[in-house]
Amino acid sequence: MTVAPSPIPDSPPPAIDIRDLRVDYGDFVAVNDLTLAVPRGEIFGLVGPNGAGKTSTFRVLTTLMEPTYGEVFLDGVDIQEDREGARRIVGYMPDLAPVPADLKVWEFLDFHAAAYGLGTKLQRRERVAECLEEVALTDQRHKWCKELSRGQTQRVVLAKTLLHRPRVLILDEPASGLDPLARRDLRHALRRLAKTGATVFVSSHILSELAEMCSSLCVMNRGTLLASGTVDQVRHQLGSTERTLTVTLLDREAEAAAWLGTRPGIQHLKVSGAQVIFDFNGSDEDQAGLVEGLVAQGLRMRAFEEKRSSFEDILVEVAESNRLS
Amino acid sequence: MTPSAPADASVRPVTGRGWNNPIFRRYCRSRLRPKKLAVSLLLVVMIAGFIFAMSGAVGRYRIELSEEDAARLPIIPLLVFQGIILFFLGTAQAAGGMVAERDEGVIDYQRLIPMRPLSKVLGYLFGLPVAEYVMVLVTLPFTAWSLWKGDVAMATWLPLYGIFFSTGLLYHSTGLVTGTVVKNRRWAFLVSIGLVFGLYTVIPQMARFGLVFFKYLTIMPVYEELLSGIVPKTAGAMVDVGQRLAPTVKFFGLNFSETVFTLFSQGGLVLTFLVMLCRTWRRSESHLMGKAWAVGFFIWIQVLLLGNALPLVDGGELFPSRGFNRYLAPIQMLEAARRRGGGRPALREDWVPQPGEAVLMAGAYGLVTLLLLFVLARMITPSPEQQMRGWRRARKNGARALPFFSDAASSSWFVTAMALTGAAGWYVFTRALVESQWFPGQVVPLSVLAYFTAILLAIGLGFQVLLEWRGGRTLGLTTILAGIAPMMVGAVMGMVSNTLLATATWVVAISPVSLPVYAVGSLLSLSTLPPEISLAVPRAFQFWLLVYGLMTLWLLIQSRKARRAMAGRILTEG
Repeated sequence: MTVAPSPIPDSPPPAIDIRDLRVDYGDFVAVNDLTLAVPRGEIFGLVGPNGAGKTSTFRVLTTLMEPTYGEVFLDGVDIQEDREGARRIVGYMPDLAPVPADLKVWEFLDFHAAAYGLGTKLQRRERVAECLEEVALTDQRHKWCKELSRGQTQRVVLAKTLLHRPRVLILDEPASGLDPLARRDLRHALRRLAKTGATVFVSSHILSELAEMCSSLCVMNRGTLLASGTVDQVRHQLGSTERTLTVTLLDREAEAAAWLGTRPGIQHLKVSGAQVIFDFNGSDEDQAGLVEGLVAQGLRMRAFEEKRSSFEDILVEVAESNRLS
Repeated sequence: MTPSAPADASVRPVTGRGWNNPIFRRYCRSRLRPKKLAVSLLLVVMIAGFIFAMSGAVGRYRIELSEEDAARLPIIPLLVFQGIILFFLGTAQAAGGMVAERDEGVIDYQRLIPMRPLSKVLGYLFGLPVAEYVMVLVTLPFTAWSLWKGDVAMATWLPLYGIFFSTGLLYHSTGLVTGTVVKNRRWAFLVSIGLVFGLYTVIPQMARFGLVFFKYLTIMPVYEELLSGIVPKTAGAMVDVGQRLAPTVKFFGLNFSETVFTLFSQGGLVLTFLVMLCRTWRRSESHLMGKAWAVGFFIWIQVLLLGNALPLVDGGELFPSRGFNRYLAPIQMLEAARRRGGGRPALREDWVPQPGEAVLMAGAYGLVTLLLLFVLARMITPSPEQQMRGWRRARKNGARALPFFSDAASSSWFVTAMALTGAAGWYVFTRALVESQWFPGQVVPLSVLAYFTAILLAIGLGFQVLLEWRGGRTLGLTTILAGIAPMMVGAVMGMVSNTLLATATWVVAISPVSLPVYAVGSLLSLSTLPPEISLAVPRAFQFWLLVYGLMTLWLLIQSRKARRAMAGRILTEG
């Protein structure tokens, strides 16, 4: 086992430590010098539009793909030096997770339990039963894999991923195909898992849900890491502090608009009846200054409304810029 | 609900082989379901029972053989039936099973399970065709009964069935390699069937043209050797006479039994296939063979080809007409006896090989060497994309060059080494044929070695450099336009009129693949070309060899420049 050099002696290494990772397909750069560290016990989200490099990153992390260069340590294990060691640590659930058509649910799970060397036949059966219960599929254990619905298939593969109690779980779009109830169960299962010390690295297109599920996340676009941290930190890093403000006045709307037009950070100013609507990009302090200024001008405000762009909007913007470029 | 605490202490490396191999057990489970298998087994038992009963009845009551001889009669038909099950159906399952795994997408799961690559390969090798093994197993009681009642010696049936199963293993591993390597699922199955058919049905026919080794990739040599012991005793005596005329396995100065040499040959190939599969399982991006392994494999094949062929030259057994003569011998003997008005027929002693045979065999050796060089060059040559990745990795590691044996490094030196070895082998073979006792006074000068080297270097290296510089698509297009099309056009022209033969000769020579044949036709004093092409062949050969030599030189320079430019660009990029 190769242990990544740690900046603080004797401190535990991050669960996922990616250093200068690059993945090329010919001249196309799928992942460009990605550096990222995910602490243990986190549910860490990976967000980005199609072609951002999410799946390439995941395939490298799971040893399914060799990077052009870069180092990846999973729980201190260098995945390129000790692939088999890394494979014992990691659990991977791919996007549109497939299942073999010629096996029953319990057979599929038992095969993987045996392949991971999970004890005796009895111990394996117990573990399979536990994982099936975890994904609420105990009653489907004798069903053929090919007869499962999309959501059930996702849950079976999640059960397979949990079998060997991986210390690092990598889930590519795990919620796709799940009904709202199953999504909630998934969210709860992942939180329980994180509480026990496992680290979950998850990607999703259901961004609001990802924001709700993850303790922190990162945003990638065109192979490059744009931001990482908590949802608010990411929002800040992406420069998406812009918000739409609406001031409703009793009178003198034109005067208010004229004054606001002289202030910094204001764009797309328009007057609509008693309302002055504009986009504002600035800190919360600056915003409070605007309100104070309007009052100091003797303008009588009836209402002040703030509408921030949602996280979804920010990513749509990122994706749009990706498409245009 | 029980939280899944991360405690992977229970996860230990799985090295399970044999019955405990999880992949093998997974296929036992899915392919040996009683409901599905029962119908197949019933059918197999019925057919085997029919073969057994029918052959026995015909032998006993129609041909009126002794009880012992009649019992031996079903052995060969049963062997053929078992071969159909294990060789054809089993290989199809091995190739098709891998394709299905990839098609379903579950192969990624198998990549991730912490088993050693060899355990995974063995799990698939024995697991995918497990139903076919069981089907063969249920036919064995019929065979066992026939062997017992027919009083067949263990020294006969044990090697026969040993080689039967080793041949099955060889075919299955071929199917597994194809199913693993060919990405397109529509093509994978066809390619695997084509490859198995080509490798083990078409290529062994090269044995008739002096490349004796290839026949040991099949069960046939052992079958022929042991035939007298399994057919009815009356027929066995005749087979024995025929076998005394047949060549035995000689490897340089050593004598082997057919069984040992077949096992040795098949074992080498199975080992190579296992290495390829393990490399692919370890890293899916890896070349099928390492560069050093490829050179070693090439040399091994050359040694086997020469080792089997050279001892047969002086006895004349290597020449196609000798084998042909042997087929005709009984008819000729009977005819001669009839003309003499009865009496004991005698073997013809006046057989001598034709010079044209030696020329043809030398050409075939060169052609096979060139084709093998192409195959191995294709396996070890990095695509431009792989080189790019290699250089980027080198830059990251602060290196200024690629490791010599790495997949991303140029394969030119290794192809050169193979070309030189191949030219030497080709020359040794040609010299042994031409300077043998059959053609007194004939000499193969050293200049021929220089020409052979030039051909393999120019064509082999040109192939490799084009692939390395421009990639597989350009190489494929060039192969079609320069390699195949001229031969087709030339062949049609040659058929239209004799006056076009000289032109057709020039056109065919455009194809680099024709050069080995043209070379022996031009360079060997033994060669007697028809007058219509006697001038065209040597001239076309010299001209196109020069053209291809210059082109390869140009390609080498361009490729080197491109490689340096790529390295410079990547090593200096930010």
